Amino acid sequence: MKVSVVSRSGRELIKGGLELSDSATVADLQEEIHRRTKKFHPSRQRLTLPLQPGSKEKPIILNYKKSLKDYTEGNTSNFTVVFKDLGTQVSYRTLFFWEYLGPLILYPIFYFFPVYRYFGYQGERIIHPVQTYALYYWCFHYFKRIMETFFVHRFSHATSPLSNVFRNCAYYWSFGSYIAYYVNHPLYTPPVSDLQMKIGFAFGLLCQVANFYCHILLRNLRSPAGNGGYQIPRGFLFNIVTCANYTTEIYQWLGFNIATQTVAGYVFLVVATFIMTNWALAKHRRLKKLFDGKEGRPRYPRRWVILPPFL
Amino acid sequence: MAGGLPSALRRLYLSIYNWTVFFGWLQVLVLAVKTLHESGHEHVYSAVERPLQLAQTAAILETQKHIMVSSLVISWSITEIIRYSFFGMKETLGFTPSWLLWLRYSTFLLLYPTGIASEVGLIYIALPYIKRSEKYCVRMPNKWNYSFDYFYAAILALGIYVPGGPHMYSYMLGQRKKALAKSKRE
Repeated sequence: MKVSVVSRSGRELIKGGLELSDSATVADLQEEIHRRTKKFHPSRQRLTLPLQPGSKEKPIILNYKKSLKDYTEGNTSNFTVVFKDLGTQVSYRTLFFWEYLGPLILYPIFYFFPVYRYFGYQGERIIHPVQTYALYYWCFHYFKRIMETFFVHRFSHATSPLSNVFRNCAYYWSFGSYIAYYVNHPLYTPPVSDLQMKIGFAFGLLCQVANFYCHILLRNLRSPAGNGGYQIPRGFLFNIVTCANYTTEIYQWLGFNIATQTVAGYVFLVVATFIMTNWALAKHRRLKKLFDGKEGRPRYPRRWVILPPFL
Repeated sequence: MAGGLPSALRRLYLSIYNWTVFFGWLQVLVLAVKTLHESGHEHVYSAVERPLQLAQTAAILETQKHIMVSSLVISWSITEIIRYSFFGMKETLGFTPSWLLWLRYSTFLLLYPTGIASEVGLIYIALPYIKRSEKYCVRMPNKWNYSFDYFYAAILALGIYVPGGPHMYSYMLGQRKKALAKSKRE
């Protein structure tokens, strides 16, 4: 069949279109576009069905696994797809690795090296036990995240735009340094009671374990062949909360902050909660929309979104 | 009226709010120009201090006597007068006259640069005073392990202006294009 590839402004991307077999898949089409244009690797191509001009609907994105036939509606003579360049892409694993590496490396620098001399603090530094435990806790957390990135998570998309590397690294590395500066400061004041520190770290660790288990459960919702897709999460805390993984992550940071007691840590907690809440709302809505109970699909059960009893 | 009582109350509140702020800034502008004319730029800050505090928080430092205070206040107040009357008209009358739309999307071409330059300039000349006075600074040790250094925060703010200014300006240019094209079509 002949496939025309046009840009969103209507301009023909590939002069004369492409010739593909009737049984070709979307992936084949992407490969062919890549072959002809050289520049556009399949992961940067967003191919959609043409929309009526002025239509307010969201365009239908072609799934790379499907056959072209699934989208042509029987018309095999001429098929038009709309192309959008998503820009340079990096794999999600690359993105996560770099954003998590920053905190893992930067925090210990504040602990081990005489950094504060350059901020004008001369002399001996007394290290409190809580600061040492905080170091272990923090490094364990980001080490865990990196391990999960490579061995646990199954991503909904293979790639993310390159610009996200800079944006996400700025976020994690800045906050990591900001918190590390205060917790390891020579004038750091530990919380008044030892018990507070113990409760904080113990609770935090418990939540990290729970968070890991949530990640395992989420992983098992997707097949290793891996092209994402969404299922109703079940088991453990997911029976009550859609995004139990975010819930446990938020509480884990709360544990850290109870133990270390810094404004910087709490600011990070608030911002992270805000970000994760936005993600959770989107995911919850997506799942409710997908699992509407019609046409044999299960109906998404009533659940908290992210933070019972608030949301 | 569609939407009933809640929507009418909302409109009433927004009308009053926008017109009140409009008059606040109008007062600031009139006072600033009057003082500039009668007494010179050194006196502008103390003349507008009260109404300015009502309309906007301002950094109260030795920069008070500088000419950039006048350029700042005048840039801000003209912009805000146009902006709030624009919203006020929308809420009260349901539409905005085309000349006001034009003003809203054209005066920024001059006033953003003058306003931003004044802001940056004033922060810059205030830096030595900020460092000396230690005003608003919080030092360690304290229970919540926090510190704030106004001097470094000011430097960070100056840094943000570097990408921030051009970004805001080009955003307004885009908005101008959209808004004026839209009104032309109507």
